[in-house]
Parts: sequence; structure tokens; C-alpha cells
Amino acid sequence: MEYLSIFFQYVGQYLKTRLTYRADMVVEILSDFLFQAVNLVFILVVFGHTTLLAGWSKNEMIFIYGFFLVPFSIFASFFNIWDFTDRYIVKGEMDRILTRPVHSLFQIVLERMELESLFGAVTGLVVMFYAGDKLGLEISWYDPFIFLLLVLGGALVYAGIFISLATIGFWSDSRTDIMPMMYNIGNYGRYPVDIYNKIIKYVLTWILPFAFVGVYPASYFLKRDEWYTYAFLTPVVGLVFFMMAVTLWNIGVTKYRGAGN
Amino acid sequence: MENIIEVQNLKKAFKSYSSRQGLKGAFRDLFTRNYTIKTAVDDISFSIKRGEMVGYIGENGAGKSTSIKMLTGILTPTDGKIVVNGMNPHKEREKFVKTIGVVFGQRSQLWWDIAVQESFRLLKKIYNVPDEQYEEHMKDVIDTLDIGPLLDKPVRKLSLGQRMRCELAAALIHNPPLLFLDEPTIGLDVLVKLKIREFLKRINEKYGTTILLTTHDLSDIEALCERVVMLDEGKIIYDGPLKELRENWAEGKQIQFQFSEKATLEELQNLTKDHLVVWEQGESDLIWVASVDSDETVISGVIGKVTAVKKIADLKILEISTEEIIRNIYVEGAVRHG
Repeated sequence: MEYLSIFFQYVGQYLKTRLTYRADMVVEILSDFLFQAVNLVFILVVFGHTTLLAGWSKNEMIFIYGFFLVPFSIFASFFNIWDFTDRYIVKGEMDRILTRPVHSLFQIVLERMELESLFGAVTGLVVMFYAGDKLGLEISWYDPFIFLLLVLGGALVYAGIFISLATIGFWSDSRTDIMPMMYNIGNYGRYPVDIYNKIIKYVLTWILPFAFVGVYPASYFLKRDEWYTYAFLTPVVGLVFFMMAVTLWNIGVTKYRGAGN
Repeated sequence: MENIIEVQNLKKAFKSYSSRQGLKGAFRDLFTRNYTIKTAVDDISFSIKRGEMVGYIGENGAGKSTSIKMLTGILTPTDGKIVVNGMNPHKEREKFVKTIGVVFGQRSQLWWDIAVQESFRLLKKIYNVPDEQYEEHMKDVIDTLDIGPLLDKPVRKLSLGQRMRCELAAALIHNPPLLFLDEPTIGLDVLVKLKIREFLKRINEKYGTTILLTTHDLSDIEALCERVVMLDEGKIIYDGPLKELRENWAEGKQIQFQFSEKATLEELQNLTKDHLVVWEQGESDLIWVASVDSDETVISGVIGKVTAVKKIADLKILEISTEEIIRNIYVEGAVRHG
């Protein structure tokens, strides 16, 4: 409860700062929006030539893409930890974090949040409604709740993977290119996994479970019942990966060596 | 009085690997690495009582920062026992840090982009300080540090001195009984330094705040601390009153001569061969410093002998400064006990 009130205090502060740099914010939202548009155009171009890919229609693919954007934008708003090693370990900012009576990971989430990225979720919803309408999907009263649950699960999957990667910084502060690579791998989750070969599918399901961010949960709304088990595993996988990441983090903090000065 | 800090046989070793030379070496590094273990803090023990102000001094790399970081719960000790405010800093970190205040001179606690008072409000929330306590205590802190006019400015627009005063206030928001200050006066001008010292003395008197201070500026320590703990190569080489340190080391005086003509070491040694004098050249070959015992006959004897032969432009008798004492201690590597 206390954490929630700290969270809102930070959000308030964040908005205040952002509003003082109005021009900056507008530019950022615009560029975010453009980025989404380019991605969408890419999908439209690819599927302009094929109407079916491994049994998935163009509109289904667009729907999956739209769904993917929602958990991803939540992840991108709150788990901006791709530069954790540089910013907090090498520059020693972690010292400051560790002298405050709030969980260190929570503080970093608060400090690094970028609420503008949440506009990606709006784009995602628009895309989903557009594709859903073309597919003639129906929405039941409980679907919004399931949607929230699945989105949360997807965001936790993403967060779990990236937090685990960030914890490497506690052991070794050398530069690695794992983070950008992982962003690329993450993008595979927005396409149906059965278009890949078996090994990649296995990896995307159980090792780097990015498929739980896009295709699996989205298949619930597409009424693809052969994937339902996976769809409902989404929150479970999310929780498991997130808990694992937090445990790793807590171990990592005890190994923190500090920046020399 | 009870001990607020208790440290027993504290040790911190860092494992780091050294790379071999050349390409061949790099390949060998891939398979077997050469580890070297560097002991930053080597088996130190001390305790600090409530209300004490203790100066923690040492050269760069002596282990000051490392031990402070263990005391504040940032680093996990390799070995040994620490109890601060009745808790184990690292194990119960989140609960523990509510009872301490920390100022790192080279690192800001405040948010760069937002006004100082907004930073204070966030910290108040983080430390969960009740409104009444905050109002009453912070009003006092803000008045004493004279930062009232700065509160609505963003931190990035403050000068270093202004920022440092705000940092101090930020560290005291939850009115902690124990305050760690790591180089709090680094890069500040004399006036700000004085203000900060005055403030520290005041909170120590008013709230009985225990203060552990590291600094390179020994005048801070002289002004504030009765006790110093001195570290060298990870070991405590002196722990006791500053006064005693001065008495045992500052036995001598220095006489600085500025001659109007060149002087040589031999010549000067010859002149004062009846007394125990150590001659050292100053900034130019006109300036020479004689270190002698604090004995009136010796001092006047040396001055008499020298001035009888050499023309002088200026003459000063200097007390050996604390700075010099510390330097001497490091050169000798151990502390003489009186």
C-alpha cells in the first residue's frame, strides 16, 4: 500500500517535469507514433502479398501485432533497464538507491519510467479493434478482464527476461550487446510461432518465452482453441519469470561491488 | 552510553582478474584467468558511541569508502561483524537505512530536474515521515542551512555550495540518529564550509546525532571531531583523540628562512651543527625550512647562528600542521604512541 502511494507520488512528479518540457514531450509522442506506424506498414506490405501464412490470415496477424503492442508498451514504460549496468553499476548510482528504504528494483522502475510509451498501448488497441472488426470477432463481458490478465502476464514475461539480463551487471560490469539482441528476439513473439521451426518455437515458449507476449494470449481472442492452454498459461509464465528475475536481482544486490572512488 | 556502531574484525576483499599481455595472453585468459584478491578493508574493529563525531581519515584507496559502504549496508562484508543501530546493515537493509542519513559529496541524492522542495517531498514519502514531524524538523533544518530561498529552484540551477546544503537537508528529512558524510565539503568555498560545520555541530548538540565523517580537508576534522580513526592500506593505524595525535607528533617547530642570497644545504648544516636540525629546501633556493625540537634555546640558537652569517629577507616560525602530521604518519606507516 505504501509502495502504491510512493508510486503515485513519482508519477505526479514525472508528469510535472514532463509538462515543463512540453515541446520535448510532443516530439517524443510523435516519434513513438511514427515508429508504430512504420511497423504497421511493414506488416501490411508483407501480408499484402500473402493472405495466409501457416494457416494465419492477414487480419489475424495484424490482430496479434496489435495485442503485442499493449504488454510491450507497459514493459517499455516501466522497465527501462536496458542501460542499467552503465547507469547504475558503472556510474555507481546504485549506492544511492541502496541507501533508501524501498526495494531497489522498485526505485529503479520509478526513476526510469517513461509514461509516454503507454501511447503504444493506444496504437495497439486501435490496431486490434480494426483487425477484430474485419475478422468479425465478438467481445463477451468478461473479455476485458481476461485481456487485462493476459496483458499483465505478457508484460511480466518481458520484464522478467530483461530484469534477469540486467542483473548480469552485478557480477560483471563489462559491456555486452545482449540487451539490443534481446529486443530483436522479443520481436519474434509478435508473429505466430508455428511459422518458425521446432527449436525456435521451443525457445520462444519455454526459454525466452516471448511467444507469451503476442501470439499465445492473442489466440484466445482469435478463438483459436488449439492454443488455449498456452493462452491461459500466460499469467503463470509471467509470474514465474518475474519472480525468478526478482530472486536473481536480490542475490545480485548482495554481490554489488560499488563503483570505486 | 551505548555503542551505536560496533565493528568487529571487518574484512572486505575484492576479487579481480588481471589480464595477461599480448594476443597470446588474451587467449590464455579465455581459459584460465589470473585472479588477484585485493583486500580493501583488512580486519578492522572499532565502536562509536551515541552522540560522538568521529573523523574517518586515510589516503585515497585506504579503505575509507569501502568501510563506509559496508556500514551503510551498500556492500556485503566478506567477513566480520557489523552492528549499527542494533541491526545488521546489509541483512536488514531496507529497515536499517531508515535510521541513517547519508551524504556522498560526489553523488547527488536530489532529482536533477525538479525543484528542491519536490525532491524533499519525494524523500519524505520514501522515508514515510509523518507531516507534523516533517514540518517541525525541516523548518529548523531549512532555517539553519539558510536554504529557504532555494526551495523552488530546480537542482540543476544551484551552485555547488547551494546544492551541498540542500543535500545535507535531504539526508536529514527523517531525522536519523546517525549520519554518514563522505567528503561533504569537497570543492566548497570557505564560507560554505564554515556554515556546514556550524550546522553539523548544531544538530549534534540539539538532536544528539552521531556523525561519522570522511574528508580530505583536515580542517573539517579539526573543527568538528574530537576523535579520529585513521586508515592505511585497509587497517586502522590510529584510533583516538585528535589532540593526542597532535601532541605526540607535533613535537617540533619549523623555522622558515627567506634569504636574500642563495644558500646551500651544506652551508646551513655547517652553521647549525651544534643543534639537532633537519634542513629542507622550500619553494626556491632562497627559502629553507629548519625543523627543530620545540625548545626555546634550540630555536633561538638556530636563528642566531644563521642570521649572524646570512642576510635574511623574512623569517617565520611555524607550528607543524595537522596535515603535516598526517603526512608524516603515512610516510612512517605507523603511529607512535606517547
